Amino acid sequence: MATIVVVDDESLITDFLSFFLRAEGYTVHVARDGRSALELIGEVRPDVVLTDYMMPAMSGLELAQALRASPKLGHIPVVLASAAQGAAARLRGDLFAAVLDKPYAPARLIALLRELTQAGGNAVGGALER
Amino acid sequence: MNHTLTRLTSHVPGLDTILGGGLIAGSSYIIQGRPGAGKTILANQIAFAQARQGAKILYITLLAESHDRLFQSLSMLNFYEAERVGKDITYLSLFRTLRLEGLSALVDVLRTELARQGTSMLILDGLLNARESSHSTLDVKTFVAELQGHAAFSGCTVLFLTSARIDDSSPEHTMVDGVLQLEEELIGSRTVRRLRVAKSRGSASLGGLHHYEIHDGGIVVYARLEALFARPSKADHAPDTRVSSGVADLDHRIGGGLPASSATAVVGPGGSGKTSFGLNFLRQATPEKPALHFGFYETPARLSSKARALDIDIDALIASGALTVMWNPLTENIVDALAYQLLEAVQARRVDRLVIDGLAGFARATVDEHRLIEFLAALTNQLRAIDVTTLCTWETRELSAPSLNAASPEVLSLFDNVIGMQLDEADGMIYQGMKVIKIRDSAFAPTVTKLIIPNATASDGFARPSIAGDAIES
Repeated sequence: MATIVVVDDESLITDFLSFFLRAEGYTVHVARDGRSALELIGEVRPDVVLTDYMMPAMSGLELAQALRASPKLGHIPVVLASAAQGAAARLRGDLFAAVLDKPYAPARLIALLRELTQAGGNAVGGALER
Repeated sequence: MNHTLTRLTSHVPGLDTILGGGLIAGSSYIIQGRPGAGKTILANQIAFAQARQGAKILYITLLAESHDRLFQSLSMLNFYEAERVGKDITYLSLFRTLRLEGLSALVDVLRTELARQGTSMLILDGLLNARESSHSTLDVKTFVAELQGHAAFSGCTVLFLTSARIDDSSPEHTMVDGVLQLEEELIGSRTVRRLRVAKSRGSASLGGLHHYEIHDGGIVVYARLEALFARPSKADHAPDTRVSSGVADLDHRIGGGLPASSATAVVGPGGSGKTSFGLNFLRQATPEKPALHFGFYETPARLSSKARALDIDIDALIASGALTVMWNPLTENIVDALAYQLLEAVQARRVDRLVIDGLAGFARATVDEHRLIEFLAALTNQLRAIDVTTLCTWETRELSAPSLNAASPEVLSLFDNVIGMQLDEADGMIYQGMKVIKIRDSAFAPTVTKLIIPNATASDGFARPSIAGDAIES
């Protein structure tokens, strides 16, 4: 099944998402900040990246920009899950395939991931709202 | 070394006052309090105030509630501005870093972030976790010292939030520049919140406990009145002029009236006429020399109707700007908050005559009864200094020396003048009588004067003779 990279500084969130997404059959890799996430994404080439906004070393926005700028990684859809930056992120449909406002229903995430992994790389540019 | 201290404006009402001017930029502080005491609210309130002043804040949580839960709670408070989150204030969780890599790694990440973001205020929520992660007190001391050192060099102010019991011997306590302790206690049936500046290196703070409360604006601190007003803000003149008490015969007996800017206690049992005396005193207010009624008993509407029975039109006085009526019910008040409310109103309206009805309102609001004398001393001194002639009613069981002394001998000595009210019977009728017990700098005739309020109707059941001023030998 598909591979997801989950990036969030809050370990309570990454712990839950790892458990939850693995139970759904996904292969999950976790990073705690944007910089180590970029390296990890380069290594494992996931199908979707789910990232937080506020993180040390490199923010979710900076990560999405770095990915978009990379010829090898630019096709990977990036979902932003944020407690406060939702509105600002929705203005960047070029960077984020979708934006989730925390707290969001886990079922919503599953539905979104299904769409993005089934649609392949075509979800980039379509900003899906919660 | 730079000797000038830059103070930060917290915009937390009352806080900068007790800190001797405010937090010192580049210094580090511990904010300590049990969960629920308000540390997180206080830290965020300060953070948003700093953000509004153009600063960049880094808010680090170790093991705490999720950030989205935090924002949800903060969004109920007026100071929270969602647009500033992620822009001026960045919230990061570094618990995993601490757990897996330890304290030094945490310091490294913080150094990088402080530089990367141009942070001028660092808030670290969860110092207790840092302490529990360490193998020795030296580790914690090193952690605090390294962080503090880096921050001081870059002019960054640090706030460490902790729920651990910090005392003078804790390693963290010795390292930081200041310690603020927030305490929430159950006293009787009330939750009482008080804070104290337990350490304040290099700056004089207002010691002891100060009440604070949390409402939708965030935290408000009320400096302990007798600490802030240890001396009145101006010199007291003790002018020679007299202010009419409202009862001509009484004025006549006490050298023309009450000494201007003095404080008078009107004492007596219930029904003896204290409130009526007060209303009659206020009746002489004008828009140029306005009055304030600061009461704890009758609501403004009831006071109005009581006054109407005495043929005193309070509503007209209010409409003309001659009178303001403020009412605080005798429920759970914070005594210092009452005092500041009173003093602010007096200043704002340039009040000349004040009636406080009654002393019990302050007495019952002092959670620590021992404070009452010092509190009243500070309040009456300040009122005198700002040229207010004050009348304060005080309900006692009976008007006798043993009864007054039993209540509190020191209280009466804080007042320049004391007038006793009592119910007397003569010619088959009951009268409200006034007895002068003490008048500052005056001789007076030690007789009881009837309280005659001109044109009062007999609606309260007490008959009054039509002739004013007959002395009743007591």
